[in-house]
Formats: sequence, C-alpha cells, structure tokens
Amino acid sequence: MSANIYHNRKAQWLAYIGLFCLLALVPALFDSPFLLNQLARYAVFAMLAVSVSLVWGYGGILSLGQGIAFGLAAYGMGMTMQMQFQDPVSDPVPSFMLTNDLSTLPLLWEPFWSTPIGLALTIAVPTIFFIGFGAMMFQARVAGVFVAIMTLAMLAAWYAMAYDMQPFTSGFNGISPPMPFEFAGVSIDPYSPTAYLICVGFLAALTLSAKLLMQSKFGLIVQAIRDDPERVRFLGYNVAYYQVIVFAISGFIAACGGLCWVMVVQYVSPTSLELTLSVSAVIWAAVGGRLSLLGAILGAYLVNGLQSYMGDELQDVWMIVLGSIFIGVVLFLPRGLVGLIEDALGYFTGKSETETSGVAIERAV
Amino acid sequence: MMSLLELRNVSKRYGDFAAIDGLDLTINKGELRCLLGPNGAGKSTCMDLIVGRQRVSEGTVSLMGTDIAALSEHQIARKGVGRKFQIPSVFKELTVRQNLEVAFNRNKDPFLNMLSFKHFKGQKRYDEITDLIGLKDRSNTVSGLLSHGETQWLEIGLVLMQDPVLLLMDEPTAGMTEQETYKTSQIFNTLKGSHTLVVVEHDMSFVREIADVITVMHMGKLLAEGTITEIENNPQVRNVYLGTEGIH
Repeated sequence: MSANIYHNRKAQWLAYIGLFCLLALVPALFDSPFLLNQLARYAVFAMLAVSVSLVWGYGGILSLGQGIAFGLAAYGMGMTMQMQFQDPVSDPVPSFMLTNDLSTLPLLWEPFWSTPIGLALTIAVPTIFFIGFGAMMFQARVAGVFVAIMTLAMLAAWYAMAYDMQPFTSGFNGISPPMPFEFAGVSIDPYSPTAYLICVGFLAALTLSAKLLMQSKFGLIVQAIRDDPERVRFLGYNVAYYQVIVFAISGFIAACGGLCWVMVVQYVSPTSLELTLSVSAVIWAAVGGRLSLLGAILGAYLVNGLQSYMGDELQDVWMIVLGSIFIGVVLFLPRGLVGLIEDALGYFTGKSETETSGVAIERAV
Repeated sequence: MMSLLELRNVSKRYGDFAAIDGLDLTINKGELRCLLGPNGAGKSTCMDLIVGRQRVSEGTVSLMGTDIAALSEHQIARKGVGRKFQIPSVFKELTVRQNLEVAFNRNKDPFLNMLSFKHFKGQKRYDEITDLIGLKDRSNTVSGLLSHGETQWLEIGLVLMQDPVLLLMDEPTAGMTEQETYKTSQIFNTLKGSHTLVVVEHDMSFVREIADVITVMHMGKLLAEGTITEIENNPQVRNVYLGTEGIH
C-alpha cells in the first residue's frame, strides 16, 4: 500500500506554496480596495493562528497570551506611525497627550522618532518579553492548564496597563495615527495592494520558516516534548530551553501580526490586548487544525470570513456561534478541518499505518 | 571488577519520614542487578535519586567516580544514565521511528538542531535495536497505536538508543502477558554483559530468568544481597517480604 499523500513532505510543501501563490494573486483578480483590506486583516489573523499552532499544536503549550505579543507590537507600530506625523520643532507632542496634561514627550516615546528604531522595538520588545516570561514559567516547570492561567493573567495585566496609562497610550480611545505608514519615502495606503501583499508576504515568510523549523531535528524534539516532557528530559535534553525558544518564536510571529495589523487598520487600542482576540486565535487554530500550520491559516480565514458574511442579525450572538463551533470541533474533529482532509486523502491514497519501513513520513503538517 | 555506580550512605527524608535510610549500593560494570522489595521499600525513590528526579538528603551518588547528586536530570542523562519509567512513556503522536530518532540524537543544543535536516545517522543502531525489541516492521506506526507490551519495548528501545552506560528499568514487565514477559526476559539476557542494568521487578519468574545478583530493600534500607538461591533461603527476606511459603 502506498503512503497517504497527506504525510508526504513534498506534497505538503506544494500545498503551502500553492496557497500563498493563490493569496498573492488576489490583487490581480479583484479590483476592490475594501476586499483587499479585509483580506489583509485575515492574513494578520492567520499569523496569529500560526503562532498558536506552533506553540500549542507542536509545542503543547496552551498559551492564551498570544495577544500580549500582538498587542505590544501593535502599540509599537502605532507609536511609530504617530511619530511619523509629529514634527520635532513645531508639533513634537501627540495631541492626546496634551489633552491629558502632558506637555513634553515621555521618554518611552522618544525612540519612536526614528522609524527603523521604532520598527525594531515593535518586534524586539514582545519577543524579548516572551523569552523572559517563558524562562520564568518553564524553568519552574509550569505546564498544562497552569500555563493557560498564567498567560491569561499576564494578558489581563497588560490590558489594564494599556487602558489605565491614558497619558501614554490614550487609554480606551486608542491611538489613531493621522497618516498611513510611510517607509523609505513610500506611503503605504492600508487599502492598497501593497499593504495587502506585505501582509501576505509576512504570512508566507513566517509560515514557511516555521514549517521548515518544524521539519528540523528541533521541530521533532519540540513535538516529543509536547507528548512527554519528562521522557525528553531523561534523554538528556534541556526541556525548558526548548520550550522558551518555541514560545519566543511564537511571540515573534504574533508580534509581526501586530505590526501588520496597525499598518492595515491605522489604529491601535486596548482591544488588541483583550482576552477575546487571544482566545479567538486559539479557536481559529483548533477549527482549522492545530497540528497543521496550514490548517491554522485556513481556520483563521474561514472563521473570520464566516463572521464577516454571516449577516448582521447574527453579529450580536457571534461569541455564542464561535463558542459552539469550538465545542463542536473539540468533540467531533479533534484534528480540526484538516483532519477531514487527512482522512479523505488516506482513503484514496492508502493508509500510512501499515506502510513498509524505510520511508520517513511527516505526520505533522 | 570496576564499580560503575556507587551509593554511599544515601538518605532521602520527607520531614520525619525516611524513604531511603542510609543505603549503600554498588553496581559493577556489566552486571544485571535486580532490586526487590515490598511496596514502599524505596526502590523507585532510589532510582529517582540516581537520575536526579529527586535530591538526596544525605550521602553521595557517584557514577564512574564522579559525584552526580547535584546535577540536573538532563545532565545526568548525558553522563550516560538511561531510565525506563514504571508507567511506559513514549511520544504517542510520533512514529516509532521518530521516537527512536529523538532518543538517538547526540546533539542536544536547540540551535544546532534547527539546522539539522539530515536523514537519520543512526540507521545501523536503529536496525539492531528494532530487531531486538521486535518493532522492525512498525517504523511508521504512530506509537500511540501500539499495544501495551509494544509500548514497553519501545521505551526500552528509546533508552537503548541513548547508548547509556547504566540502564535503570522500573518494572519493565508491568502489565505484560506471559509471552510478552518471556520475550522481555530474552531482550534482557541479550543486553546482559554488554550493558549494566538495574531492574526493579515484582514478577519472580522474570527475576529468576534474568538475575545475577539480587538486592532486597525494606523500609528504605538494604536488607539482603545475593544470588536467587541465597535470597530465597534468607530467613529475614522470607519474614518481611515473601511470607513463610517462599518465592512462587
């Protein structure tokens, strides 16, 4: 019997590359700024879902705090864009600060005068935070549901901070940079094909790198740790070290998502640090299939597409709909929608369980 | 004979209770030692102390002359101590082959492992071990689908892939059928001589099949040490552990 093509590495790479080519073709096929902006937002959500798939599906770390990296990066990007608008001489302080009795620019904001430094901080701060937070948790061997609780609490703390420090963050109102993001002299209109392609480019680069990483020995060991950390430890691996790294990489991916998000919505508020977003990201990954990065992307597009096109009357009960979908998936499709594809392909191209030895298969997709 | 592992006056206390109380144990290179004792005698705790899962309260644990009592689990594992757990633990979502690959990999650094895509270097060892544990034709089976006995053998295979100088086996035949137990005893007899093993076991027919020297523990202390006949005829052992009818 031949192998299930779903487990064939080459076929997997083709599926990934095919999807990204398809996404990249959208601006050529549809001339709709609204649609492009909407799909760019979905691409950002897909990044968040990929970060969840990596840390939870592969690493076995159920993090409800992916929004921390997303939100911190969103604020970094918001600050960078706001400072692009400010003028060092005539108008050095953003207007919301003036209305909050701040007459000089806070030290925290100073580095964001420079766009490259602002962008570097946007990505570096969340990633470094995830390294520190991860080291604290995994050195102490926090695992399972306790990781979920700790990440949740940390997310709530950041939310409260963003909400309460009104002079610095504009609190509940959020920061709305008056102009689109400008890079190397080019203004990136959020509704333009350029903005869309940047988001898809980020998504493709991050996903393919993550896929490659998970096919390395590192990826195999990370999956082994998911199944039994104690066993891995007694094989001589420093488990906490691996967990911190995979957690930090997922934070990095979520941070890239936050950066792109503010580029396409031109607005940042504490909602990006809300529990709803982080939990939704877990649901997107679960619906699509957390053991597959591609599945997580599909989940993000499908669930968000459903929310957008389901009709106005159901928007009020959207959280109930989303919750029901999640419960349904957990009960009936533990491998998500890609699990169905796996079974279907297995039915047509043969089962992997009885396959002859010698050919290594790639179970995770 | 050269001693490989030496426990000197080792104690482990939880408050007032001593799980291990002044235990001395010497394991020589190449021997297969069975550790017996009633429930709560301290056998598993003793293994935990050797592999660093728990810390000794007193005394020294030395492997080939170096003190390992203060090292963490992964460092002790890298020094060549392999452990099989009482409850079989393998990587259920990975295939048999991937399980053994993780165990074989000598490179423990995460960043170097990110750059490693090469096809598995340990094919020869892989073939030897899958032959020994009888899972050769199941390379691509997801290990969560294996039977209980096969899972036990896979874990023994994992520990062997590590190529350890000392193997600690905690109840390797627990839950096995008679045929499976027999096959396991054959695996152990193959390992005897080329490997140093410490085996905790309750199944006396299995112990009789494989053991050279038996150490009997009771209440965290060493009660007796000797061959199977010596142990069977030891009145103290009969009293605390075997009752009056002897070993069956």
